Amino acid sequence: MAELPVPAVTARERLRRLPRPSLLAVSAGILLLLVVLVLAAPLVARYDPNEQDPAIAFAGSSWAHWFGTDDLGRDLFARVLYGGRLTLLIAGGAVVVAFLLGTAWGFLAALRRGIVDELLMRSADALMAIPQLLFALVCISAFGASTLNLALVIGVLLAPTTARMARTVALQEMNRDYYAAAVAYGARRRRLLLAELLPNTVSLLAVQAAINAASAMILEASLSFVGLGIQPPDASWGTLLKEGYQFLYQRWEYAIFPALAILLTIWMLNVVADQLGARSNRGRA
Amino acid sequence: MSRYVIIRVATSLLLLVATSVIVFAVLRALPGDPVITRLGSTQGVSQETIDRLREQLGLDRSVVAQYFDWVGGLLHGDFGSSYFSQFSVSALVGQRIGTTLELTIASVALAVALAVPTAVVAALRPGGWVDRLVSAVSSLGMAFPPFVAAIFLLIVFSVQLGWLPARGWVPLDEDVGENLRHLVLPSAALAAVASPLIVRYLRAELIEALKQPYVRTAEGKGATRGRVVLHHALRNALLPALTSVGLIFGYTLGGAVLVEYVFGLPGLGSLAVESALRRDYAVLQTVTLLLCAGFILTTLVVDLASRWLDPRLRTVSADG
Repeated sequence: MAELPVPAVTARERLRRLPRPSLLAVSAGILLLLVVLVLAAPLVARYDPNEQDPAIAFAGSSWAHWFGTDDLGRDLFARVLYGGRLTLLIAGGAVVVAFLLGTAWGFLAALRRGIVDELLMRSADALMAIPQLLFALVCISAFGASTLNLALVIGVLLAPTTARMARTVALQEMNRDYYAAAVAYGARRRRLLLAELLPNTVSLLAVQAAINAASAMILEASLSFVGLGIQPPDASWGTLLKEGYQFLYQRWEYAIFPALAILLTIWMLNVVADQLGARSNRGRA
Repeated sequence: MSRYVIIRVATSLLLLVATSVIVFAVLRALPGDPVITRLGSTQGVSQETIDRLREQLGLDRSVVAQYFDWVGGLLHGDFGSSYFSQFSVSALVGQRIGTTLELTIASVALAVALAVPTAVVAALRPGGWVDRLVSAVSSLGMAFPPFVAAIFLLIVFSVQLGWLPARGWVPLDEDVGENLRHLVLPSAALAAVASPLIVRYLRAELIEALKQPYVRTAEGKGATRGRVVLHHALRNALLPALTSVGLIFGYTLGGAVLVEYVFGLPGLGSLAVESALRRDYAVLQTVTLLLCAGFILTTLVVDLASRWLDPRLRTVSADG
């Protein structure tokens, strides 16, 4: 008697039918996890990031030291976690500065049009033609490499791109009926800006913020890499990468861990920006 | 057409002037006196020496006069002299511009060579597994800052395998083979980041092109799939994608700054970093302006070339 074959695909089929999390949810989730890990560094790391122990310099990965140790025997896992705090602090600060400055710049250009618009946007173009890293290098070497200065300088450098984006989305919104209605009933400029334009453009500005965060991390890492970032013994991911780079032939893993941290964060930020952008475009179509 | 060319060239020139003003103004506005930096400290140095040096470097004149000195000199091919070494800026730039040019051209060529076949394969079946793999890999590639890519390549090819040199440079006219050996990793680092951008753009253009009626016509005439894709669709998709190459040139030029630094290449980028660290503004302002000019010029050339090559763009208004 031939038995009916038991469908072998059930497990696979069940897996396939599970609700799939969106790419946006996954990438945002990973980012959130990274932020939580970094913020909870004192709870997660078992060592002081600056505590030296020359006896175990350049130790490989082990249960005691997950990422091994550096040239001075400091725990690399703790250093990467604590380094993330500085990196995220600088990137976050820069994003806020770029948002405030860039949105004001772009919205003003969109509202005023004419010669003001022309001047504001041409100056943004000129600023964007200058290699950001060189500009940042000069400013930081003049003002000094404190966390605040780094966030400010990087934020100012990202403002022109943000201004371009803000102007474009503002002009799109100003063509819509609700905006015309607001103008028609005599809304003041302040109301137009804060109550009409800002809430309606915020999703697209969020896309720009994610892109800015990624750029800010690259700039911070670049500055630290040439020695103009966070100064030792404290270290951001960029500083750690620079230190690791100096010991590439002693222990190449030293450079890999901060590099992977930078890479993963930027990657996830890019994916979030992409997905958010696609979503708000679909919402508009 | 000619009106467009004139307007486009004029805006580029204006942009370059604006850039030069900004670069100059920022360097002067920053705290820190190059004369004092050069002399080490003011202690033990007489005011007279400081004044003499300041006069020698033209720093005693008004800021506006200094700006016109600088720009006037540039127009006559006189780039001034470094505040620190006794070299003229032209000599320093001359020694190094070749490396940067070679690196940038090699990187963009490599990026295009990698990107075009990849984009074609991905666009053949949008949503297929190849396409999704390409999307995933290029999304990761775009996340690499070029100098981080450089470090990964260094670890694999210099530290682990020992195939390629980790640092240094041999000029092209000294030894072609050695020159190429030193060029591989830096240009691969830049191309690894630039080619995903091209893939992304070209893939979208190709998918769009493959939907066009002329593709169906070609298929109807019995053209093979390969001929339809390569001869009809790719040619039409490459032109719009050309605009992205201008952007990528700029991006590569910016990325080259740190990549040169990582590999110890004697290029404009590493010269800029060194002068920024030393506050040698005479060198820095000129190198920065040269890099900006390179970027502005490429964008201009790409814009004009794609208009010339692609008649479809000519119907668009001049400022569009």
